[in-house]
Amino acid sequence: MTDPILESHLQVNRRHFFGRSASGIGAMALASIMNPQLFAADKKLAENNGPGYAPGAVGPTHFAPKAKRVIYLFQSGAPSQIDTFDHKPTLEKLDGKNLPDSIRGGQRLTGMTSGQKAFPAAKSFMPFRQHGNSGQWISDLLPWHAKIADEMCIVRSMYTEAINHDPAMTFFQTGHQQPGRPSLGAWASYGLGSESDSLPAFVVLLNKNTDQQAQPLYARLWGSAFLPSNHQGVKLRSSGDPVLYLNDPTGAKLPDRRKLLDGISKLNALRQAEVGDPEIATRIAAYEMAYRMQMSVPELTEISDEPKSTFDLYGPDAKVPGSHAANCLLARRLIERGVRFVQLYHRGWDHHSNLPGRHPLIAKEVDQGSAALVLDLKRRGLLKDTLVVWGGEFGRTVYKQGSGTRFGRDHHPRCFSMWMAGGGIKGGMTYGETDDWGYNIVDRENTGVHVHDLNATILHLLGINHQRLSYRFQGLDFRLTGVEDHGPVRALLA
Amino acid sequence: MSAMKHCLLVSISLFTLLLDGQSQSVSAADSPIVFNRDIRPILNDRCLACHGPDEKQRQADLRLDVRKLAVEAAIVPGQSAKSDLIARITSQDADIQMPPADSKQKPLSKDEIDLLRRWIDEGAKYQTHWAFIAPERPVAPAIQNKNWGRNPIDSFVLANLEKEGLTPSGEADRPTLIRRASLDLTGLPPSPQAVKEFVNDTSANAWEKAIERLLKSERYGEHLARYWLDAARYADTNGYQYDLEREQWVWRDWLIHAFNSNMPFDQFTIEQLAGDLLPNATDQQRLATAFHRNHPITIEGGVIDEEYRTEYVIDRVVTTSTVWMGMTMVCGRCHDHKYDPISQKEFYQFFAFFNQVPERGNNGFAPKINVASPLTTRRQQRINNQIAEAEQRLKKHPALSEKKLIEWERRLTNVVTNQWSVVVPATRVSQGGATLEVQADKSILATGKNPATETYELILQPNTSAVHAIRLEALKHPSFVGGGTGRGSNGNFVLSEIEFAAATKSTPDKFEPVKVASAEADYSQANYNIKLAIDGKIDRTGWAVDGNTKFEDRVAVFTFAKPLLADDVAQLRIRLHHRYGGSHHIGRFRLAIAAQPVQEVPPDVAGIVQTAAANRTTAQRERLTEVLLERFGPKEVQAATANLRSLRNQRAALTRTPATMVMTDRAAPRTTHVLYRGEYDKPREEVTSGVPAVFPSLPDGIPANRLALARWLVSANHPLTARVTVNRYWQQLFCTGMVKTTEDFGSQGEYPVHPELLDWLAVEFVKSGWDVKGLLKKMMLSATYRQSSRVTKESYERDPDNRLLARGPGYRLDAEVIRDSALKVSGLLVDRLGGPSVFPYHPPGLWQEINNRPGYSRTYKQDANENIYRRSLYTFWKRTVPPPSMATFDAPQREYCVVRRSRTNTPLQAFVMLHDPQFVEAARQLGKRMMTEGGKTVDDRIAYGFQLCTARRPNAAERTVLKQMFDKRLRQYQADKKSAARLLSVGDSPTDETLDAAEFAAWATIGRVLLNLSEFVTKG
Repeated sequence: MTDPILESHLQVNRRHFFGRSASGIGAMALASIMNPQLFAADKKLAENNGPGYAPGAVGPTHFAPKAKRVIYLFQSGAPSQIDTFDHKPTLEKLDGKNLPDSIRGGQRLTGMTSGQKAFPAAKSFMPFRQHGNSGQWISDLLPWHAKIADEMCIVRSMYTEAINHDPAMTFFQTGHQQPGRPSLGAWASYGLGSESDSLPAFVVLLNKNTDQQAQPLYARLWGSAFLPSNHQGVKLRSSGDPVLYLNDPTGAKLPDRRKLLDGISKLNALRQAEVGDPEIATRIAAYEMAYRMQMSVPELTEISDEPKSTFDLYGPDAKVPGSHAANCLLARRLIERGVRFVQLYHRGWDHHSNLPGRHPLIAKEVDQGSAALVLDLKRRGLLKDTLVVWGGEFGRTVYKQGSGTRFGRDHHPRCFSMWMAGGGIKGGMTYGETDDWGYNIVDRENTGVHVHDLNATILHLLGINHQRLSYRFQGLDFRLTGVEDHGPVRALLA
Repeated sequence: MSAMKHCLLVSISLFTLLLDGQSQSVSAADSPIVFNRDIRPILNDRCLACHGPDEKQRQADLRLDVRKLAVEAAIVPGQSAKSDLIARITSQDADIQMPPADSKQKPLSKDEIDLLRRWIDEGAKYQTHWAFIAPERPVAPAIQNKNWGRNPIDSFVLANLEKEGLTPSGEADRPTLIRRASLDLTGLPPSPQAVKEFVNDTSANAWEKAIERLLKSERYGEHLARYWLDAARYADTNGYQYDLEREQWVWRDWLIHAFNSNMPFDQFTIEQLAGDLLPNATDQQRLATAFHRNHPITIEGGVIDEEYRTEYVIDRVVTTSTVWMGMTMVCGRCHDHKYDPISQKEFYQFFAFFNQVPERGNNGFAPKINVASPLTTRRQQRINNQIAEAEQRLKKHPALSEKKLIEWERRLTNVVTNQWSVVVPATRVSQGGATLEVQADKSILATGKNPATETYELILQPNTSAVHAIRLEALKHPSFVGGGTGRGSNGNFVLSEIEFAAATKSTPDKFEPVKVASAEADYSQANYNIKLAIDGKIDRTGWAVDGNTKFEDRVAVFTFAKPLLADDVAQLRIRLHHRYGGSHHIGRFRLAIAAQPVQEVPPDVAGIVQTAAANRTTAQRERLTEVLLERFGPKEVQAATANLRSLRNQRAALTRTPATMVMTDRAAPRTTHVLYRGEYDKPREEVTSGVPAVFPSLPDGIPANRLALARWLVSANHPLTARVTVNRYWQQLFCTGMVKTTEDFGSQGEYPVHPELLDWLAVEFVKSGWDVKGLLKKMMLSATYRQSSRVTKESYERDPDNRLLARGPGYRLDAEVIRDSALKVSGLLVDRLGGPSVFPYHPPGLWQEINNRPGYSRTYKQDANENIYRRSLYTFWKRTVPPPSMATFDAPQREYCVVRRSRTNTPLQAFVMLHDPQFVEAARQLGKRMMTEGGKTVDDRIAYGFQLCTARRPNAAERTVLKQMFDKRLRQYQADKKSAARLLSVGDSPTDETLDAAEFAAWATIGRVLLNLSEFVTKG
């Protein structure tokens, strides 16, 4: 950039894009720098956030954050807790026995097993072992997880309200079973703003499908709903343009793209001088940031600069675009570059039949990358302020769907396991307990972790009071965590 | 803190800045308190959650929303010092202080306390919430500046400006005006010709004439419909997890037609909400009700029917109350509304209106009807006449007689009937334990057990001389989902494999496999071709028929490699394997044997022949005659018949509209209950349909159904519908409504910026007969609309969001308008009206990347014809993956009703404008227009392109920048032919080989610059 007028506009605007709306505060902020006295309110916001910090709605945070960023490894389709983290020696005896009505306690069933005559319990098809200094129980299905046992906080007392994928996924990611609410990542972007001047605050990674019955996803899971739409997640794709329309289809080289932009900017600046519309300056700066993204994204996705030790850690899959391992590695690269929230989806866990045959295949895809990510963050000193979350939208039933050895497990909302590690989480502990059948949480009143509790915990670690992160829409102050009495789970915090 | 930023302005003054989380009202220090404006927002925000209408949450038995009760307990009118309310909110004692520290409510600011004090001192006057009182036509206010203003709108606006000490802006120049009007009424920029005409029109009513011309354009209906599609949550897929296609576009045609014919808004309302219930309802009126079937519908295997059926009804309540009433009724789903006087019981009374549809939760696509698009009627009429003529000519042909036809039919019947003999299997076994019953029509119906997978084993004892082929008919039955052919949880079936084996008379128990040479079906689902049923693999693949969406009988024919001879064969065993899972079994079927080699008779004709003559439909009779004439008639009759058939095909194509989901009410009404916490499985008290008591009541003596509700909404004394509607159109023209919260006119919504103007327009609107075109015209004729949008430092400081309208409307255009504008200025736009959705450019693989169930979901198949260049409202809309470039420009997902889009400004938008092939291609075609239409000199061409994109001519500085760019690019492309060729190759439209490539590429680059101007994407 050589034009001094433009340069001054851009100085002002550099950091305002992914966090701000055009006609609202963003434009006001711009004007405020042009005439600071008049926009004291906005100036104050900027001051609160400190220099170089794109302000979010929460400025800077409600209290000191333990985690500056989040990587959420969503295991869509729902892994079986019985066969992974919820160690249940009691099932050795109960194996094959019919689930008593007293245990089921009127739980509604999906249309897939509601017609089933018998509900025979099936113990884990994999043995469990204790790992790490903490002695956490992890099944042999996830051998790499054994290496991060002391970092993980396993929650065995998760529960949710939905019993089918679409509503359950939507509930987890937006706090509501039906479409219409902003996603967790969008809330984080809205609340905290962006830390990067060349990447969005909220990035989404989708693993390529391998399972025959992989879960279809939907843009609402990372959508912004009634929040300004610049908070929706930006998908980083593993094939084609990494960000939609990032690449110039005419193949123009960088200097030519620069020249094209300069011409556009010059004309836009002339127009602004004429009509005075501050939104034009905002648009000029948006184009500038787009230009920076064009350079930063290829650098981000070009993993050949990673040392051999990286691939030793993540495994050979890390070189296969769209694999879980590759996306875990990308997630690390993203947060290193200032992205706040990385939402990753694996979607192959929904095994209604032959779960003992199919779960190991998916586990193999997921296991090493997930553990490697935690180990990698740790050795880079990033784990202390990066939160990693791992889990599905519900659990799976202790009883068999179908029969024999090629049985499946149906959806189970009443108890399931997730784990978290890093930023502010107490590692090496298991929280919550299920009954002998692995069907209900013991003392759910006090130890159950509802989806809203989990989301409140994530926000809490980011320095946000979940009750104060709200947005007025249709006359209500909407919150991610709803209106019922939920909150962060203190016992999980370091 | 976010609540601070987004809480509604407490005061009417727009210049109040919100500091440090305190909403400070500095308004009205010298003017009397207005309860609705000054006090209600404070009470709502801080007090009513515990001291309001919600009985269950009420604390200390204190209500502050009803004056009588408040005065009894906490307020002494005229004496704030003696009022407990003031004592409580000013107390420093944590036990006494209100709101309590643990209530999550912000403490009241000093200004807020002052307002409450003054209000009490002035007598603590309450007002009914403004929006619940029917509007009365206000008198236009007195204004000082008599020289400004063209109609009463301006008096209201000016009075406000004068109160704030602001002056209106001057009139925008003519090119800007015509561009503004063109974008607002047609969603497209004006042609240079249109600009010229308006600029040169010196008549006094030039502006009015221009508006009228635009209102007559067919593009008007498309543009207006496009806004309504958001409100109607229209899409081309079903939403939820398995986001498969649906076809509701015939309703979209209805909508375009309704706007273009300027259907009065009251009629528009009644037909969409209750067209089916109108006396002697026409097909088009029934079609209109598709409005309330546009919501998402799930087909996820495990869902519970009633859970989702309930969601659909709730969606209709939310949509109706948002669109017509600007009410957030959905709060009443779980509990009494906390701010507006709507109880939970009243919510379910409203719910009851929409609870009568004979629908299901899972696969709830019925009821549907086949109705033609209103946009095709004229063409249909023409073809009908041609057909009638051709039929007459044919009828009179001397070679034809009734006798001959009967003779020919007998011959055809012979072929057909002797071709297939229906057989009933001697034994029928279901391995899954189902009961296989023989029906009167010799079909076999499966009932009883319905396991995940299934094999039917059937033994035939052929009594024909030979078996050349077997016909398998899959037949509908009302006991299956959707009344279709399959027992699957979604109504579909997958025939994994059909196996034939024969036992000879000598060894009747030893079955040898029979080889099948070919298999054909009248219909196969994508990826489930009939061939997969004879591929030798008993697996999840096989023959399926989209039985979850298309509920029709199907037929398949399996021809044996070698005919089985009756002399040898004693028994033929057929196994129908179903291994897909989810009970995807054929539910009713019939078998038939061909004793002769199968002759070519179209399957549908075979069916007609076998139908008794008296039972044939007109179409069937026509079809049969056609086949007979073509098969047996003399040569010229055959030719005439072929011509007639071609005409009929054309008509069929026109009327081949998919069945559209519409509203109907069940014959036996469904009982509605209050649902505890809004949960479908917790019904409580029974309720009947009705409207909330705060509104005028429904008339007595008529059934309280949807029709009554629709008429009630547009009745003269309804306080909301006209205001909400007028406000939405205002928002369309001015960016922000007079009530910013378009979706919420309740007590939590914004108090209108121009309350009298809103009421005036609402009353005028009703008085005009709900004339939408008239309303838009009235707004656009105002001087307010015609102001320049130029932003001065002063006006920006005083009113950054331009709520008071001291300047004209200027803001970024909507996604669809931006794309359509690019198509228009490049000359690519194909402005054909109506029809099915289209598939323009789309990033490869995007659907599969996100919403992909392997083997289930389809890929995006881009159109390869002019459909790429149709207007954006026709773009196929998949809810789980909305068109990405539109989503980037704030288009909603269409999963629920949206009446106000957000308007952001992001780098991703720059990517779309710079790199989406649609825009690169448009730039190329724009470049070509500059070269071929723009004149001889570079200056002229630049001016022409600039004018196409902005309606004005570039100034000297702009021209210089563009010219320098052009010169540099030209030199560069002359040296680098490859880059030029690459730029010119983007997009499907052919490039012009006669033009010099380097020069063309340089102009295309100028085209890119022009399309990326802020001005191009802005309504100035």
